[in-house]
This record gives sequence, C-alpha cells and structure tokens, in this order.
Amino acid sequence: MSLLEKVDKITEAKAWRGDIPITSRYTAGLAGEEFFREIMENARFIGTWCSECDYVYVPPTIYCERCFSKLEEWVEVGDEGFVQSFTTVHVDLDGAPLAEPQILALIQLDGADSVLVHRLGEVELDDLRIGMRVKAVFKPKKQREGSILDIVHFVPTET
Amino acid sequence: MTSKIKEFPGVALSSSDFEEKKVLFTEWAPNAQYAWDAGIAIGRYLAELKQGRIIGTRCDRCRRTVVPPRNFCEWCFRPMDEWVYLEDHGVVNTYSVTYVRWDMVRVKEPIIPAVIEIAGASKGMGIMHLLGEVKPDDVKIGMRVKAVWKPPEERSGAITDIQYFKPME
Repeated sequence: MSLLEKVDKITEAKAWRGDIPITSRYTAGLAGEEFFREIMENARFIGTWCSECDYVYVPPTIYCERCFSKLEEWVEVGDEGFVQSFTTVHVDLDGAPLAEPQILALIQLDGADSVLVHRLGEVELDDLRIGMRVKAVFKPKKQREGSILDIVHFVPTET
Repeated sequence: MTSKIKEFPGVALSSSDFEEKKVLFTEWAPNAQYAWDAGIAIGRYLAELKQGRIIGTRCDRCRRTVVPPRNFCEWCFRPMDEWVYLEDHGVVNTYSVTYVRWDMVRVKEPIIPAVIEIAGASKGMGIMHLLGEVKPDDVKIGMRVKAVWKPPEERSGAITDIQYFKPME
C-alpha cells in the first residue's frame, strides 16, 4: 500500500492559509522632497536639469541616469504636457476587478524630457490618443499633503 | 573596514522625523495572503487532528513510525507503507520555559514549549507542543503527558486543536 494518493480535485487539497503583516514606509527622498513640497505649497512642478546632457528630469532625480553627474540645478516646468503612452487598468493591486477602468499614462510635461506616471480623467477610452495634450488637476491646497495624489489626475485641454 | 568610515553617505532619519512629519513619506501595507499546500501527509495529519486523533506513517523496511507523518522515508527514500494511528499521549523529550510570546510580547505566566514523543511512534519521534496544568519546576524529561483537546466543534484541523499536553500522574 502506498500513500501516494492522487488529489483529483483541487478543492480537496489541504492548504494552510494565513497572512503576513507587512507595513512599509517609503520616503520621498532628497529630490522627491523638493518636488512634492513644491506641488503641495505652490501647485507647481519642478525638475532637475543635467547640463552635460541638457536633459530635464520630472519627477526629479539627484543623479543623471545618463552620465551619472550630480544634479543641483532646479527648473520649473509646465503643468501641461502630452501623453507619451497610456494603458487601461481593470483590476486593483490585489487583482480584484475595478468598478470603472482607470487610465494610466506617461506624461511628458512642457519643459521636461522625462515622463511622469499619472491617471487620466474626464476622457473617454475611445478618445485617447498618444500625443494628446493634458493638464494637471490639483487638489485644493488644504487637502494637499505632499503626495503624488495631490494631483487628482490629468485632463485633456482640447476637445 | 566600517570602523574607518567616519560618516556613512545618505541622510539618516529617526522615528521622530516620521512622527513629526518632517519628511514626506508614503505608508503601505500589502495584502500578503498565502496558502501553503499542506501536502498529502500533513493534510491528512491535520484532518485527523480535527477528529481528535494523531496519525503517523510507517516505513516497513526501516521499521520506523514517524510523526508528524511524511510521504517518504528519509532513511531509505522509499514512499511510506502505511498510515498508523498513534496515542494522544507520550513522554517529554525536551522542554523550555519562556516568558516571551511568539510575537515577542512579555507574559507573566510562563509558556512551556516541549517536544513530546508520541506513544506508538518510534523512539525519539515527537511533535512540538505546549505543556499545561503544570509548574515549570515540576516538569521532568521523561514525564508522561496527555493531550488536552479543544471541544470537537472548535477544532479547525490545526495543531492548535490540541490545547496543550498535561501530566498524566
């Protein structure tokens, strides 16, 4: 007699269930600190400029990803830009279906060379196109807390 | 090496920097659920605990009965030959006395984890569990102990279906 009985139904397989309590704290970092405080206090976007590469990073970094120079020059960029790429999201982070699909986009702000990831709003899926002009919608100042969610979403500027 | 470094690069932050919100940060708790496949042997072991029984497996070639049960004999690498019901009592093989709970909370009443050699299994074969209804000073290696089960309706097919083992005499 062998004990190697086959489990034919997956529901009969005995599993031990549990969850692991993990909490994490992610700091904005040196560049992020400046970036988010500018959003929180003045509803403005700033980035760092690499003079070697003539490249503007938004969101900012403290080192240039291309030449590894330390970046110390800050520049203000526009709160408008264009959609470089987009995707639609139908499930949340745990894989549960969303009531309404969300649109995530890579947005290149005017004056920036890198892209920022954010949500698009007030736009129909069919109207989405690459190159479309969008503008940031900020939360009212009192509700802003120095987070990327201080920006509600980006909306199209032309209809 | 590190003793030569006077100052590490980067920005050091203390808990108060977070509590006083001196820096910007995001907090996140992932939904880290898991399902650990108990497998055939432990699956049956847990199912039998729910019925108030302890089961092991036997290798006929090595003449060895193991508990908790496994599918394969780790001595001769053959599949085990049969299921064997064991007694719900045994003797203390070793034990410890702790005043700190598993999640590092201090407790007044000591917890006594022990390895209990289960009667019916081969010598030295035992399970980890807790001792109860006994003072730490009265615990002796070799002492006979018996399982105290939860009421059947409260059992869930877990090792905690046995509340603890208590002295038999």
